[in-house]
Amino acid sequence: MSGLPRRIIKETQRLMAEPVSGITAVPDEHNSRYFHVVVAGPSQSPYEGGLFKLELFLPEEYPMSAPKVRFMTKIYHPNIDKLGRICLDILKDKWSPALQIRTVLLSIQALLSAPNPDDPLDNNVADHWKSNEKSAIDQARQWTQTYAKSNMNNH
Amino acid sequence: MGNCFKSSSNDDISLLRGNDTESNESTIEPPPFVEPPPPYRAQPEPQRRMPIYHPSPGVSRPANQLSEDEQIKIAQRLGLINHLPTGKYDGTNKKAKECVICMNEFLIGEPLRYLPCMHIYHKECIDDWLMRSFTCPSCMEPVDAALLTTYQTN
Ligand SMILES: [Zn+2]
Ligand SMILES: [Zn+2]
Repeated sequence: MSGLPRRIIKETQRLMAEPVSGITAVPDEHNSRYFHVVVAGPSQSPYEGGLFKLELFLPEEYPMSAPKVRFMTKIYHPNIDKLGRICLDILKDKWSPALQIRTVLLSIQALLSAPNPDDPLDNNVADHWKSNEKSAIDQARQWTQTYAKSNMNNH
Repeated sequence: MGNCFKSSSNDDISLLRGNDTESNESTIEPPPFVEPPPPYRAQPEPQRRMPIYHPSPGVSRPANQLSEDEQIKIAQRLGLINHLPTGKYDGTNKKAKECVICMNEFLIGEPLRYLPCMHIYHKECIDDWLMRSFTCPSCMEPVDAALLTTYQTN
């Protein structure tokens, strides 16, 4: 394995030294490009009270290419599909190497606060959101209770 | 536990380790059918030695697999990049101390490139990015638009 770029080392150190509120990101002990992430559901959102596990991987080309991020915990959200893939512009065509792991995770947290059914990744969920927002939010809240409440022992 | 991260740069589902090892009920079950990898990673792994070019964002191709149009586009892009001013870091610019791309401090004598928006990067770092996207990483300003107006006013 080639050495880890200094940027990744620096970002990891900064994440540890100044963690983002509501987010933990811990590098895997066997692979420093793979992070175990837990995002707390933002208050005032249907995900409040839930802890959502994600995985984040820094590809070989990082920071020229965006990190790859996926939800591991089931979540009812119009911009997150059944496989946990996230529809977020900065992870695709709006990526810039000035962005960091920290900014990516903050954007994902913001996406939980502001679902965008007009740019859906999961059409069923988005349709539900658009046709009956109250019922969709109830469903999201229920899923949070069911799937994001388990004890989060990180190894 | 499998070490799949070595051959891991093919798609964003398989490259993420642990899909198959963590399966308590709070995690997503494996999909009922195998999905094709996302299209942006669907091409075969390019050969190592060949220089890799990026004819458009998210598309990377080894030099010998470029179409004629792509070759022209890349040549034009290289020409535009070479019009952007360069210099060497002399320590006098107190505002720009660190290159946001590699997150290293500028060292005296290192080659820099200046974008029309006045953002400064290591030449090597920004040239790599400009071949993929002709925008400033910090302010997202398109570089060519700014270049064209500079030419017109001169
Ligand atoms: Zn740099
Ligand atoms: Zn700029």
